[in-house]
Amino acid sequence: MVSSLVHAGFALVLAAGLLKRSYDRQALAAVLVVIVLPEADALLGPVMPGAHRTVGHNFVLPAAAGLLLYYDTRIRETSLLRERVTNTGVRIAWTALFVHVFAHVFLDWAHLEGVNALWPLHDGFLRLEGELLWSSVDGLVQTFVEIDVDPESGQRQVDAGSTGTTESVHVNNPVEPDSPEELERAETIDRRFPVAGRGWRLYLLGLGVFTVIARHLQGDPPDEPVA
Amino acid sequence: MAPTLVNAALGALLAAALLGAAFDRRSVAVVVAAAVVPSADAAASLVVTGATNTVLHTVWLPLAVGGLIYWDTTRRESSWLRERYGWRGVRVGWVALTAFVAAGIAPEAVGDPGANLLYPVDDAYYVVDGLLLFSTQDGVVQTFVSATAEGPGLLPFESRGTTETHAIATWVNPDGRPGVGGSDERVLTLVETGWQAVVVAAAGASLAVRFRPWSSDSGEKATTASPSEDPPVSGVNE
Repeated sequence: MVSSLVHAGFALVLAAGLLKRSYDRQALAAVLVVIVLPEADALLGPVMPGAHRTVGHNFVLPAAAGLLLYYDTRIRETSLLRERVTNTGVRIAWTALFVHVFAHVFLDWAHLEGVNALWPLHDGFLRLEGELLWSSVDGLVQTFVEIDVDPESGQRQVDAGSTGTTESVHVNNPVEPDSPEELERAETIDRRFPVAGRGWRLYLLGLGVFTVIARHLQGDPPDEPVA
Repeated sequence: MAPTLVNAALGALLAAALLGAAFDRRSVAVVVAAAVVPSADAAASLVVTGATNTVLHTVWLPLAVGGLIYWDTTRRESSWLRERYGWRGVRVGWVALTAFVAAGIAPEAVGDPGANLLYPVDDAYYVVDGLLLFSTQDGVVQTFVSATAEGPGLLPFESRGTTETHAIATWVNPDGRPGVGGSDERVLTLVETGWQAVVVAAAGASLAVRFRPWSSDSGEKATTASPSEDPPVSGVNE
């Protein structure tokens, strides 16, 4: 996993930008809980092979949650959620969903073996890796999704970074630091809890901490802003 | 260098997070512009040896500007910035300076090819890259800071060389050296890796949510129900 602290750092930046007047300690705490929660799928690893990066890390559940949230708050005449937690709660819910998708699932999508994007509809890990550039010789080039045409059969093959299924992929994590077969053989188990595995991850972590401190230090605008 | 698009995206995220009541199209544009300004030193490299990631990537310039804003807004009896642009001007000024450093300079220093942070006092392209973790076998492991790091420079980080030895290729200056080169291929990188694509997507989505170009009311998702509990915040965005 990209360390939970890195997810949290990026989440704080995004949440600070989206919460508007609902920004307070409580709202941030709610967002952080939502950020950490999906990692619990690592605990399922010992009983369900390939659970980590599958159960809590897919696009299907957030999409379903988004539809549900949309239906409840926009289409129904009286929203159950809004009645219980007011508009502030609704905004925090939307923000938490946004943050879960971008700061957690998407960041993990770009890390190690990626995430099981369409689980439970379809079992297949995808990894987001590539680059997008413009070259004066080759024009616009992207390598995130490779499209190859088989010269013999003429069939098109699309590879969006597939890395395998829950059968074949095990994403290492502190609960299961290696694939279960390796762990049985190992004499000592080294569990590693990452803080930041690369410079950019330390950067995102720092950016989140900085954002919260800056928001804390900022003064309130005067009652009638002088334009 | 991190692609300029990524600098802009990080600037946009900081703008959304920090502008508060001063958030509008114009202030976001100013902050995003401040985030991409450091990348402009690539153009200077056509004339000055090793200007890329050097001239506008040193910490001294933003330190001086920060000191100036601080002095103007808190030490002087009447602040030029506040008189001219009001409270919003001061807020936008600080956030733009923040974006210059945190979205323009810092991303360059956390990966190759590095940023010449202390130039001209010290000439070295620093790269703050490594790992920090806790291991049940080895305890705390960190490789970001190293007193015995290779390369020139005063700071205890890895460095990639000096303005003389380390040429950085950009689309403005494909060989990284002064003079307009021949028929070099020019490459404008928009996104280098997966995580940068995520940052760009997150910034685009954040701005879309904040501005809501598809809806006529710029305020809330919920404009109909229970206004007494949480009044619409559209006024805040003006």
